[in-house]
Formats: sequence, structure tokens, C-alpha cells
Amino acid sequence: MDSGNAFGDLTQDYIAECLPLAEAVTDAFLQLERRWREGDAEADSVVELKRTLHTLKGNSAMMGLRPMQIVAHALEDVCARVVADVAARKPEIAALLIEGAGLLVDQIRGAAESPADPVRAEGFVARVAAALAVPTPGSRDVPPAPEPADRAGLRLERRRSERPADAAGGMIRVDFRRLDALLEIFGEAMIEQSALPEVYRRLAARCGSCPEIGELDRVVVALRATMKRLESALMDTRLLPIATVFARFNRLVRDLAQAERKQIRLVTEGGETLLDKAILDRIGEPLLHLLTNAVIHGVESAEERLRQGKPPEATLMLSAAALSDRVMVTVVDDGRGLDTERILAQARALDLDVGGGADAAHGLIFQPGLSTAESVSHVAGRGIGLAAAAAAIHALGGSIEVRSRPSRGVVFTLTLPLTLAILRSLIVEVDQERYAVPLSHVAETVRVEPNTVHAIDGRGVAMWRGSAINVADGGALLGTGATHSAPRNYFVVLFSGPRRRGLLVDRLVGHQDVVVKSLDPSLGRPDVVSGATILGDGRVACILDATGIVAQREVA
Amino acid sequence: MTTPARAARPSGANLFDFADQIAAQAQAAQSLAQATEPAVAQLQLIAFRLDAEEFGLPLATVREVIRVGDITRVPQAPEHIRGVTNLRGRILSVVEIRTRLGLNAAVPGPRSRIIVVEVQHRVVGLLVDSVSQVLKIGVDRVIPAPDEVRSEASDHISGVAHLDQRLIILLDLERMLFAPNRAVPSPS
Amino acid sequence: MTDSATRPGTFLAVDDSPLHHQMYRVVFAHGALAGSTLLHAMNGREGFELYAAHPELRLVLLDLNMPEMNGLEFLAKRRAEAVHLHIPVVLVTTEGSREDEARGRAAGAWDYLRKPFQPIDLERLVARLGDYTASAVGHG
Repeated sequence: MDSGNAFGDLTQDYIAECLPLAEAVTDAFLQLERRWREGDAEADSVVELKRTLHTLKGNSAMMGLRPMQIVAHALEDVCARVVADVAARKPEIAALLIEGAGLLVDQIRGAAESPADPVRAEGFVARVAAALAVPTPGSRDVPPAPEPADRAGLRLERRRSERPADAAGGMIRVDFRRLDALLEIFGEAMIEQSALPEVYRRLAARCGSCPEIGELDRVVVALRATMKRLESALMDTRLLPIATVFARFNRLVRDLAQAERKQIRLVTEGGETLLDKAILDRIGEPLLHLLTNAVIHGVESAEERLRQGKPPEATLMLSAAALSDRVMVTVVDDGRGLDTERILAQARALDLDVGGGADAAHGLIFQPGLSTAESVSHVAGRGIGLAAAAAAIHALGGSIEVRSRPSRGVVFTLTLPLTLAILRSLIVEVDQERYAVPLSHVAETVRVEPNTVHAIDGRGVAMWRGSAINVADGGALLGTGATHSAPRNYFVVLFSGPRRRGLLVDRLVGHQDVVVKSLDPSLGRPDVVSGATILGDGRVACILDATGIVAQREVA
Repeated sequence: MTTPARAARPSGANLFDFADQIAAQAQAAQSLAQATEPAVAQLQLIAFRLDAEEFGLPLATVREVIRVGDITRVPQAPEHIRGVTNLRGRILSVVEIRTRLGLNAAVPGPRSRIIVVEVQHRVVGLLVDSVSQVLKIGVDRVIPAPDEVRSEASDHISGVAHLDQRLIILLDLERMLFAPNRAVPSPS
Repeated sequence: MTDSATRPGTFLAVDDSPLHHQMYRVVFAHGALAGSTLLHAMNGREGFELYAAHPELRLVLLDLNMPEMNGLEFLAKRRAEAVHLHIPVVLVTTEGSREDEARGRAAGAWDYLRKPFQPIDLERLVARLGDYTASAVGHG
């Protein structure tokens, strides 16, 4: 940024350190505003917040980032006034604090891209000066602020103390790209390693049993175990708490609620849940869309809520929890719920399959072309669309589901893989093409006996665990174009959320942990493929997108 | 300036001969160019064949030329994408430029090659029938594509270079790779 | 000031900010102090352990607000236990922290370095405070 600054190369470090601080300050100001609005004029946390701002000011100054420096300084001044003067603890001042902290967050976040806008910073400083120039009556006989006992303050404290505790254990800072490079190399090692058992088998077939072969077998097995340990150790280095993503939303929801003239409280839970940074980087946008959607369409106005006997303030809850090898993220609102009739009407207009109960109907909102908006003007320019949000989640190998109850609200449940990098897969063969099927989406593999799969109305149907499921031909679904299709000996039962579908394949090749590589944009956005991997023989295999396949229109 | 040997990095021992070959050709082309017209700005091209036609790409966009290995078809990929291949652990998309230029797709033969190019920070492979040489031509030899060429896949052609008796069609890679896939009118 | 004062030596940075440690790294990797050994501690307690274990330290850069043991507690312990009182300890502050600076001086800090500072400021400070390691080793 500032090429004249000796520490210009440290911009990423500056962002990494200062952004969470600025976000925490913003959150604390939001809580203050809430209290002050409710008439609770306490400001115990402000002493600690002022200290944090002081740190931000100092760090920004070191980096030669004057706009951030002056904004932090101005906020410090406001805090000083708030500590000294009870009369200053009013919503207008809180709004000023929130605005400044928000500006600071934006400036710091963008520090690597473009120089911060000095005009906005100066403007804010001028407004602070004007606000503070008005002396509030009775400011002199204010008792000193009591010792902090405030929650926001405590949280900030905890955040600050966690880091050095780790550091005491010998923490270092590593550019994430280096971890990516490490993973890349690990992936190559895994591919090479996965070729070993085959070589071993061939060697054993040629030489028969001899002590060296037994030795080799042991080494191959031991190596595989070690690679597993290496993998999990490597994965651990890539995990970050989801709070880093959640932190963005407090202010966004507040601003949006204000613009929509609604009263909304955002509650977050499970921020300590760990996820691969590569996933964290890509869930912000879909989550933002779900929250935006909830604020604009899900939540009623305060008056309407009162009429329905609900508290005027709506609650939006964003929570995360770790499952065994997945992470579940839920977005819950207590608004009006989805309009089932409207969705069905739209779906019919789009010629979509509207069978199934209300839950199935609600699932249609992820279809492109459907809108949950009350009026068209509302949607314009907002977010990326539910279909795109769902697509983004699917692209991560995750799933998204919705449940809704009239006037009770909507629950979006996202299930995300812990990591994007390595996928436990079943390798299948269809018309001599090999595909990797994520095991997380495989319910079962079934051997095809005569009369297992029936053709009804040109669709394949099989009984599976007591219910009829659609079974698609792998060759047709994947477009292998083979004229004489090989005998389909198995079908793989894929599932995504509540939906299931069988996929007929020729052969089950085996289980393998594959290193996921993304597809180049030139390949378009296939629905049935989520990525690619390199198999032990060096050939590329596509990774099937179970969610996409289950959602595909039925083919014979 | 990019040297030919660096631009066309061979990926394995079996390609060293190719590297030597193009390096020698580049040198020859260079000395020839210097001897005749030192004043005119030079264009470095890699020339390749599709059927009987000769095409050219700016050498600066070429990262390497590789032999054709296993190409995996990708379901639902656009028509002009032949598939993906393993380029030293990376997944490389392989563009069937024959169909992009209105020719029929062909089965790769022993002389077929994949030219790995980098355009707009993206790396893709172009499947060609054969790679002929690296050459330098003066920019004054390049003329806009004549009408008979335009009629076929004019969108993807930036010009035509005349070199002795040869006619080399220069491709506009950016448009060919990133322009929306417009149906190419088939010669009837 | 002696020439040796601006030669490389061993320094200790006690600060809970990774960013600051990076900045010190930049300073000690260039200019007159290039080639110096820089020890890092992320809190006062850890810092004090390093401080006690390294009598050859040329200078200590001490942050005030830290968990475990803050800068003032560090200084108090140093004085109470009379550990390496010959090693200059410098407080790192931000402008507008006069009170902190005064309290730090009272607790035994030799000087303070105000943010924002440039590498040259730190070099000058090191030069000004001199090199006491030779005498310390002599006493050893």
C-alpha cells in the first residue's frame, strides 16, 4: 500500500491482527447501543474498548495508514467522553461509535487492495468533533466508571488472552498459501502411494511368496497408516473457527434491519466450531444471502409481529456445530415462514415437479427462477439468489435444506464437509470411465440381480429398504455415449438430504481417499460433477456431485 | 524476451528432442530474420496443423507442448472441451480446437500434441494434429483475415501471415477460449 | 556513544501482538542492526523467563498491555528480584499515552519508544542507550 512505509510488506499481518479487534469493537458497540436504547446507561466495557482502539490506532500509524489511524483516534475520543459523561450514553452516540467502528472494519479489510478513502475518514472525524463539541450538561459530577463486568468487555478480554496462550505453546504465523502448497505435495504423495498396492499385487503374482514380498506388504500397510496420520495433522493446520465468518454479520444485519425498519437481534452460537479455511472463504456469501433473505422476507415488521402476539424484536440465529466429519450450520428466523402456496404456484408456472408434501415444496425455493420475495422491487440488487446460494453450498460438497412452519419461521440447515481437500470416495466404473463417488453421500451399494430394477414409465425403479427409489443408468446420466453398454452389475444408492437415487454402474473398483481438485471454469458448471481427482494410475477421474445427481430430472 | 526453450518447456525426457528441435528452428528463424529485415518488429509464433491448414499462436502465451496422454471426458462439459488430463498433478482442461474452428473432432494420432497455453492467468491445453515449428515473422507480413477465411470461424482469427508459399492463420486465443460458445455455421 | 552500540546484538521483544513482532523483525533484518538475534515473547511471563535466561541481551522492547504479566508487572519483578538491571528496558507506547510512559519510567523503564516509529528511530534509541553487554559479561 504505502510504499514509503518500512512495514508495508506486513499488510496481511496487520489485517489478520487488527480486523478481529475492529470487529469485536463493532460488536461491543452494537451491544452498547441495545442497552442504551433500553435505558441501561452503563458503559463498563468502554474502558477496555478504548484500549483496543488505542492499539488499533498505534498499529495503523505504524503501517502509515492514516485514515484508519484518525478514525480509531476519533473513536477513542468518543469513548473517553462516554466514560466520563453519563449523558453521552445515548443511541445517537452509539450510532456514531458503530458507524466509525464499521468504517474501521471496512478500511482494515480493504487495506491490502486499495488505499483507504481519506475523505470518508476525515468526514467521520469531523462529525465526531462536532458531536463532542456540544458539552453535555452535568458532565462534571459524574462518578468514575465502576470496574468492568460487562459481557462485551469480557469477550474482548477472552479473545485477547487466547492468542498469547497459544503463542506460549510456540505459535508461528504461516501464509495460508504455504499450507496449500504443502497439501498439494501431500496429494501427490498420496497418488503415488495409492499406486503401491497394485504394484505389490503384480509383483506378488509374478514372484509368488517370498520374505521380501511379505516385508513389502508390511511397509505398504505401514506407509498407508502414516499417510493417514500425516493427512489429519495437515488438516488440523488448516482449520479456523467459523467465528471469523460470523463476525461479519452483526453489523450487516443491523444495517439491513434498520434500512428495512425492522427490529432484529442476531444471535450467534458455536463460533468456535472449526472448518477448513478454504471452506470458510466460500460460505460467507451464501450465509449472507440467507440472512439477507431472512431480514427482508422472513421477518415481519414490529407492528405485524405485535399483532400476531410475537415480541416486536425478531431473533435471527446463526449457529454452527461439529458433527463427526461434517459441520452443520443453521440459519433460523422466527418470522412468518415460507408461503407454500406461492411457491407451488411459481413452481407450476415453471413446470417443476410439485409432488410431495410441504417440505418438498419448500425445497423448491432452491430452484433457479423461484423467488421468495413479497414484491419484485424488494429483490432487485440484493444478494445472489437462493439458487446460487444453494449452488455455492453444493459446490463445496455440502448440502442445504429448508424447513418452514407458518408464522413460526424458517430453518435453513447447511451441512458442510470439514475440508475440501480430501474426500473418502468409492471408485466406480461406467462404460470404462471411472468416477469417484463421495462416501459421505453413499447410502449403500446394491448388486443388481434379475428383476431388481424395473422400468416403469421409462424410469428405472427399485425397491430399497422398503421404499421405491428411482434408479438412473450411469451411462445415460453421465452421457458416456457408449452404444453397447456393459452390464450394470451394481447400483449405488446416493443421498442428499432426504432425497435418494440409485445410479447403475458396471463395476465397483474400490474405496480411496482422493485429493480434490477443482474444475477449470472452462468446463462450465456440470450438475453431476463437482470436481476431479487423479487416480493411482495417473488418470484423471471426475468426482460425482451426489446432490446434483439426486436433484437431476429423472432419466431411464 | 521469452526464449523458445523456456516457453516450450518439455515435461519429460521424451520431449527433449522436441525442445531441441524448436530451439534450433527458432535460432534459424532468428538469424534469417536478422539477415533480411532487421528493422521490422518480429512476431514469435508456434505453428501447428489441423488437417491441411497451418495455424499460429503467439509464442509468449505457450507454456509447453506435451504429448497426448489419457484424456478424461467430463460429463456435461461444453462441446469444445475434449476433457481433462493430468499435467504433473494438475488438472488441465483440453480444448478441442478443431470443433471450435468448425472442423470435425478427430481421434488423436501419434503426432498429436497438446499445446499448453496461459491466457488471462488461466492455463488450458489445446489439442492439435501436430506442432510444426517455432518461427519469427515480421509484423508487416500479417494481414487481416481474408474473406474466405472469415466465413468459417472469423471470431477466432486475428489475421493471416504469409511466409514464402505458406499461409499461417493466426488465432485470437482470448476470443476463442473465453467468448461465449457461438454456434459456428457449418459449411454446407 | 560507542560504535559498538549500533552493531548487531541480541534483543528481546515482549509483546502480545504478532504484528509488532513482525515489525521488529523488519527493523532488525535491515540497516545497522541487521544480523542481530531477536528473541520473541508473547506475554510478560514468557518474556521475563527469556529475559532472566539471557544476560547478553542488548535491549528489551516491552509492551504494556499484555496478558499473564503486563509490562508494569514485568518491570516490578525485574526490580524486586534485581535481575539484570544493567539491561536497558524500553517501553513501546502509542502517542497519547503519557501516563503509561510516566508509570513505566517510575517502574524502571529506561526510555520509551512511541508508535508510530520508523526503523531509524529504533536504531537511534539503541545507539543512545549504549551497549552494556560487555561490562555485564565482565562481571559475570
